[in-house]
Amino acid sequence: MKRKIIAFTLFFTMIILIAGCSNKESEKVTIEFWHNYSASDGQIEVLENLIDEFEADNTNIKVNQVYMEWGSLKSSVVLGSSTGILPDVLRGDIAFVPQFQSLNVLEPMSNFDDYDLQTEKVLAAPNSSNKMGDDFYGIAANTNTKILFYNKTLLNDANVDVPESLDELWDAASELSNPPVVGMVEPWTGIWNIGPYIWSEGGDVLSPDNTTADGYINSQIVIDVTQKLADLYAANALGGPSMDPGAIGDTDGWAAGTYALQLDGPWRENANIAAGVDYGAIPLPPGSNGSISVLGGENFMQFKTSDEAHKNASWEFVKFMTSKHAQVEMAKVGQMPVNIEALSDSEVLEIMPLLPVFKEALLTAKARPVISQWSEVEDIIASKVAEAITGQKSVKVALDQAAAEIDELLSN
Amino acid sequence: MKGFLRNSIKKFDWRMLVIFLPGMMYVSIFTFYPIIKMIVMSFYDWKIGFQQISPFVGLDNYKTVFADPRAGISLVNTVVYAVVTVPLQMVLGLLIAVLINGITKFSVSFRLAYYLPVITSWVVVALLFRYIFSNNGLLNYFLLDILKIVDEPVGWLSTRWSAIFAAILLGIWKGIGWNMIIFLAALQAVPKEYYEAADIDGANRRQKFYKITLPSIRGSIVFALIMLIIGAFNTYTPIAILTGGNPSHQTEVVLTWMYFQTFGALNMGYSAALSVIITMLITIITIIVFSVSARGKEA
Repeated sequence: MKRKIIAFTLFFTMIILIAGCSNKESEKVTIEFWHNYSASDGQIEVLENLIDEFEADNTNIKVNQVYMEWGSLKSSVVLGSSTGILPDVLRGDIAFVPQFQSLNVLEPMSNFDDYDLQTEKVLAAPNSSNKMGDDFYGIAANTNTKILFYNKTLLNDANVDVPESLDELWDAASELSNPPVVGMVEPWTGIWNIGPYIWSEGGDVLSPDNTTADGYINSQIVIDVTQKLADLYAANALGGPSMDPGAIGDTDGWAAGTYALQLDGPWRENANIAAGVDYGAIPLPPGSNGSISVLGGENFMQFKTSDEAHKNASWEFVKFMTSKHAQVEMAKVGQMPVNIEALSDSEVLEIMPLLPVFKEALLTAKARPVISQWSEVEDIIASKVAEAITGQKSVKVALDQAAAEIDELLSN
Repeated sequence: MKGFLRNSIKKFDWRMLVIFLPGMMYVSIFTFYPIIKMIVMSFYDWKIGFQQISPFVGLDNYKTVFADPRAGISLVNTVVYAVVTVPLQMVLGLLIAVLINGITKFSVSFRLAYYLPVITSWVVVALLFRYIFSNNGLLNYFLLDILKIVDEPVGWLSTRWSAIFAAILLGIWKGIGWNMIIFLAALQAVPKEYYEAADIDGANRRQKFYKITLPSIRGSIVFALIMLIIGAFNTYTPIAILTGGNPSHQTEVVLTWMYFQTFGALNMGYSAALSVIITMLITIITIIVFSVSARGKEA
């Protein structure tokens, strides 16, 4: 009896195993797509429709989309690099490329034969954020930069003109400040925030080859710009939660009529419309070196952990998402296209009234250095600049310390 | 001795294994293994990346932690938080427990009211505290617009110590209820006869409290003390939400700093070393608390 049971069990197990091995009812490839498209702006709904269209055209591919917010998108990839649980394709911040590359998880996208053909269709500047060494580790998904938003009501009330130069911007911030109104807001003090002021005055963060900070982040130009911000902060003309955790956040502050000026991205437009703020926007008023804003946006990235079939399937999906049609659809829910044809599409222009302003700013916008230690470098800068602005240290001392710390980091 | 061992093996009911094996496995996998792994990691420049090699660096991570002023700031902030919140929570919790224990009417309502903050989410109450202490918050509204005792809003969350003070208030407010429940349970277990005997001896209230109540609930006091110290060193949410460690990492506590180093800067080895240091610190404090309380018992 016992033997019979054992024989039967073995036979049954074998059947299951064989069935499992030959379970290839179709050659359908399911790709996992992680992203942080915003649900509140209806972007996920558009994404789902686009995926349906893509799946209808590519019957052998199924796209499994997973939403994560910015922070968990990053930490999930960090954890995944150790556990091997990674998506096939991801759409995330352009700043993720060097960080993820340092984790050794990204697959060079430029390995695809038709990569160059595809990149011809997208803006070159945003796509440069994918380049490390000779390879491109992604392709631009959508782009943005920061322009100067101003609260028309507050400017009118204080009888202040829209600034036409950086110096006028500082003056306007001072003139507008009258409690509870704070002239300007910067939610953080990283290069994302202070970079445009530095670049527009002719300064820089690191040497052109990204190997040293001394002589750049502590140059006289950066000292002068930071000093200006410190003076504004001391006069209650500049606020923001990272300098002062008790300060009201930028979105709440705009809605409450606290903040009058902010250099910010396209999301500020949506937020201001939602809050009923009467706003205007212009490219960053030029400094002595012109008007140079900072390049933002998201890229598509692929991972080493996927096999050939999944890599090819995700590349097809990426090509679809960077096509004119998908980019126009995404533009309707606030994503600024990188596809050149989509950028001049009349439908898009109608939906994004500020697009011409952003396009002008994009012509001169600068990318932050694409180096693997960038997030640490930017944290050092953010923390030292905050110390300088809030008066904990003199500007020169703080920036000299930043230069020394960054150089030590870069030399390792 | 040998006979004892043989006897206990013979007596041992092997079926018991079935009962505690799952628990043992759980603790081994989710507690012991991570601790051992963390200690190992602290000696490496740990690369979390895909198929990356982590070089052995000996005590370098520890040296970096000890040389890092920001780690020092976070530790000092944590210690201050612990030193202030732990005793105050205990004293206030005990006071309320004694008061509630002494009344017969509404005791359940009071217990519920004081316990409510404990079961409320940290995130929710931390956000509430942020609204209270922010520059345009409730507290400044009272000081500036109602009482008119300040000329401009006080930046409660803007500087290191005032922000830590806000976190401390939050910690105490949220912790009192837990202490109250622990002490109330202990108080109810103190035999009534002790107090009756003391009454006959003519002891006053104060004498009864110090000579009967406190010694009787010593076990609960030691338990609460150790749990609160561990809890204080593990504080994360209040700071993460009130200040996010800002400005310039001045208000970080050990855990927020550890989280930043791990997931922000990807310095796994550094965080592991910091974790080991904190674990040792808590272990030493716990041993001291135990030995002091044991000595007190003998005396």
